[in-house]
Amino acid sequence: MIQHFDPQHDKALSKDLGTPAPAADAAPVSLEIDGVAISVPEGTSVLRAAALADINIPKLCATDSLEAFGSCRLCAVQVEGRRGTPAACTTPVAEGMKVTTQNERLARLRRNVMELYISDHPLDCLTCPANGDCELQDMAGAVGLRQVRYGFEGENHLQAAKDESNPYFTFDPSKCIVCSRCVRACEEVQGTFALTIDGRGFDSKVAAGQAEAFMDSDCVSCGACVQACPTATLMEKSVIDAGQPEHSIVTTCAYCGVGCSFEAQMKGDQLVRMVPFKGGDANHGHSCVKGRFAFGYATHPDRLTTPMIREAIDQPWREVSWEEAIAFAAARLEAIQAKHGRESIGGITSSRCTNEETYLVQKLVRAAFGNNNTDTCARVCHSPTGYGLKTTLGESAGTQTFDSVMQADAILVIGANPTDAHPVFGSLMRKRLRQGAQLIVADPRRIDLLKTPHLEEAQHLPLRPGTNVALINALAHVVISEGLEDQDFIASRCDTEAYRAWRDFIREPRHSPEASEAITGVPAEAVRRAARTYATAGNGAIYYGLGVTEHSQGSTMVMGIANLALATGNIGREGVGVNPLRGQNNVQGSCDMGSFPHELPGYQHVADPEARGRFEAAWGVILDDEPGLRIPNMFDAAIEGGFKALYVQGEDIAQSDPNTQHVEAALSSLECLIVQDLFLNETAKYAHVLLPGSSFLEKDGTFTNAERRINRVRRVMPPLAGKADWEVTQELARALGYPMDYAHPSEIMDEIARLTPSFAGVSYARLEERGSLQWPCNAEQPLGTPTLHADDFPIGRGRFAITEYVATEERANRRFPLLLTTGRILSQYNVGAQTRRTDNQVWHDEDVLELHPSDAELRGIRDGDWLGITSRAGQTVLRARLSERMQPGVVYTTFHHPGSGANVITTDNSDWATNCPEYKVTAVQVEKVSRPSAWQRRFDDFDRAQRGYLAEATQREATS
Amino acid sequence: MSLQHDTHLVRMANQIAANLGGGRDEAQAVANICRHLETFWARPMKRRLVACLEQDDAELTPLARRAARQLAERLAEREKREADQA
Repeated sequence: MIQHFDPQHDKALSKDLGTPAPAADAAPVSLEIDGVAISVPEGTSVLRAAALADINIPKLCATDSLEAFGSCRLCAVQVEGRRGTPAACTTPVAEGMKVTTQNERLARLRRNVMELYISDHPLDCLTCPANGDCELQDMAGAVGLRQVRYGFEGENHLQAAKDESNPYFTFDPSKCIVCSRCVRACEEVQGTFALTIDGRGFDSKVAAGQAEAFMDSDCVSCGACVQACPTATLMEKSVIDAGQPEHSIVTTCAYCGVGCSFEAQMKGDQLVRMVPFKGGDANHGHSCVKGRFAFGYATHPDRLTTPMIREAIDQPWREVSWEEAIAFAAARLEAIQAKHGRESIGGITSSRCTNEETYLVQKLVRAAFGNNNTDTCARVCHSPTGYGLKTTLGESAGTQTFDSVMQADAILVIGANPTDAHPVFGSLMRKRLRQGAQLIVADPRRIDLLKTPHLEEAQHLPLRPGTNVALINALAHVVISEGLEDQDFIASRCDTEAYRAWRDFIREPRHSPEASEAITGVPAEAVRRAARTYATAGNGAIYYGLGVTEHSQGSTMVMGIANLALATGNIGREGVGVNPLRGQNNVQGSCDMGSFPHELPGYQHVADPEARGRFEAAWGVILDDEPGLRIPNMFDAAIEGGFKALYVQGEDIAQSDPNTQHVEAALSSLECLIVQDLFLNETAKYAHVLLPGSSFLEKDGTFTNAERRINRVRRVMPPLAGKADWEVTQELARALGYPMDYAHPSEIMDEIARLTPSFAGVSYARLEERGSLQWPCNAEQPLGTPTLHADDFPIGRGRFAITEYVATEERANRRFPLLLTTGRILSQYNVGAQTRRTDNQVWHDEDVLELHPSDAELRGIRDGDWLGITSRAGQTVLRARLSERMQPGVVYTTFHHPGSGANVITTDNSDWATNCPEYKVTAVQVEKVSRPSAWQRRFDDFDRAQRGYLAEATQREATS
Repeated sequence: MSLQHDTHLVRMANQIAANLGGGRDEAQAVANICRHLETFWARPMKRRLVACLEQDDAELTPLARRAARQLAERLAEREKREADQA
């Protein structure tokens, strides 16, 4: 008998099995299909069971990413002892069942069904964009359709108008068979409910929103409907233009920290479309508008393709060979070190580049520069996570897999906006919420997650920006004072002395919700209810984002979150945990790879002689045992004059870091700034050496996502400028006299595995075999570790930390009465260097200032007015958008467009432990103005000049 | 030496002291603050902070000042040890 280990079976990846896999632990059921005896888990449909046995029953409305629907009737079968012809998709297997999938009666039935479909379908197969990839066409062939007796003259939908409003796909209702796959994908997979079937019977048609254009509806352009459509009705415009792709390569998305796996579907070296990979462990075949559609930047004409140098930043660029650019950079770095000392230079690794590239940049800094002045943009987003989780739980990483959320009973989301910033995980979370998990959101804004129609019961704690720690202490106070703690867990897993000290601290009446209400603005009763929900619902899971970390007490808040999870025993199993949602694709990886100035790869402190000794032996150099400068420290030192040169790979500090004018002053005072990037970004405008970067499509490597999952990045096209980023770093090291000799990124990973205990078992061969691996992956955990801290903590016992609330020094007053907080939106990605160079611009082509109507009324502001926003750090001008998502007194903006100057306003106040900037709290005043700010006018002039310098270089090259 | 930079370092040290001070006994707090500075601050930043101890008008809070003193002692010990080894 054929045994099928569903869903792990390879077939689940190689073809559409029609209906989703049942629960993995279901009991086996034996049955016979067309005389073949097979065994599948209980709950499997007859359609899926047959497909597993390579018996392919025709189907149209069924696909294995969606629940069975039973509308097309094509998968009709006969079951011995049962009447009629039930649909195989909606019929579950039963013990001893005997199924017939092919006979004359079924064939006639299926042909009749197809005849009806085709009588209302255009017969333009040869010129149809779905030609070669059309399930309707395949099924017509499978059932042997030879004639359509009804003719084509009757009433039909063939003249229905196309909707081409979405920049990435078209909706052609003339080709629609109303199978509802798109509608179901929008509901079940994405959770947006933007599509519906409008009308009845013959009039039934797919409609976006209230029969609007797709772009005017609630559609978020995730593309799940396009992927689910069996015909050309919903079709990528790129496929309409290029035709069907001819080969595909599985790789990992380079946008957010979810790290979705995609099939890059290619035509030669042209990327035709990205299709989320069903076998992707992070995304299971789903994606968002960025990952699926916004890849056009990779071939945008703005891409830098030739290395360039110049003596000073007020001079035009000069195009040179790679050799000359590298030699120029190395000579400058050496001269600066000779004159100003070993510590006068540093480097910034990229959280967008691969693990291997990040590892190499920090190695370059430590081994070739001879100091520890290396940092990464995690400094400005999740460095408090590293500090806070290492202090309390012993490991600088989230504790769970994404899938774990499907077993959570109460979900506490703090300072995160998953539907915008981590959309694919946001969809998974919403799926769990629809199943009935409870939701608590602690956020100054009313985020979209709260809008889900099923969530009348959702709890929103709209706290004042900057009061996180007071809120988390109040939640913990309720847990302890109401006796909701998990005493067994605390006794068996946590450090007793630290617990006692924390317990005494948190029980003090000043931490009660009633006492902290005046600070947080959240009603005490709401806090008590939320604490009870989280502590008693069963599995309590915490998800948090930059609304936790980017505060003056970011690290304290992370520890407060860990305290709450420890106190309630919500650590160490599926469905619970402490989960930082990482911003960029490889933030986790860049931290793991030793980008921070105080830590070697694997979070091994530079002062630890044993760890340092291993690296010294492998790298053949003596390493500095003192931490180096962090990014903001580098800026301070540059302005003061002691820090003179910086190598920046794939990072735009001039746009993304706070207090832009301070950053500009720092960058302007450098004697050598080397920028390696895809584009002339804001930082590159201050550079002396420009090294073209390579996109994720152009190189091999790995990314590590927010669940510690190491995924392979595979090269699908050659680097536009001839070199992958790791090759450039290697050549710079060589030019500085430090030998690096890697032939392939897999060799870099082998070195990482030798030196980093948590990566000891990772290799490209193992990744090929397993698809992905979650660290720690070593001798004890050869297949990786999905859930951390199941038996013990790396520090032995969990350690409660005292978390005193200290109010931020950034306070509202009469001069600056409002609090500004910043964030992201779905369609754009961080500094926007990538997404602004795609059609995602249609959703968000400028940053606006959201403010509450009452604040607006007070100032005579109307929607769309130009507003001057002034803080202690600077002033910028943005357009107003009135929004009740905001609480009065709090305003909000995004930072995706450089000219917006959102960071001209943010200050250099930072987290006490890690110097992570306090982006989320800036005291401001807003008023109506009539022209851009002084900074914006300066920015425009500088930007124009710098673009001119670049254009001059490329034109000179073209004419010479 | 830039006064602005010193002020910034003093402010950071005070913030560390405020966060690691509350709810703990003073000797323990001072040790924790000193260890934090040792673990995370770069060499030039440590030296600058120690130099601030000489300035009467440096606005270090009492707890931060005690931690900076402890840091100074540990740096001196280390330098002596390194000198002995050399």
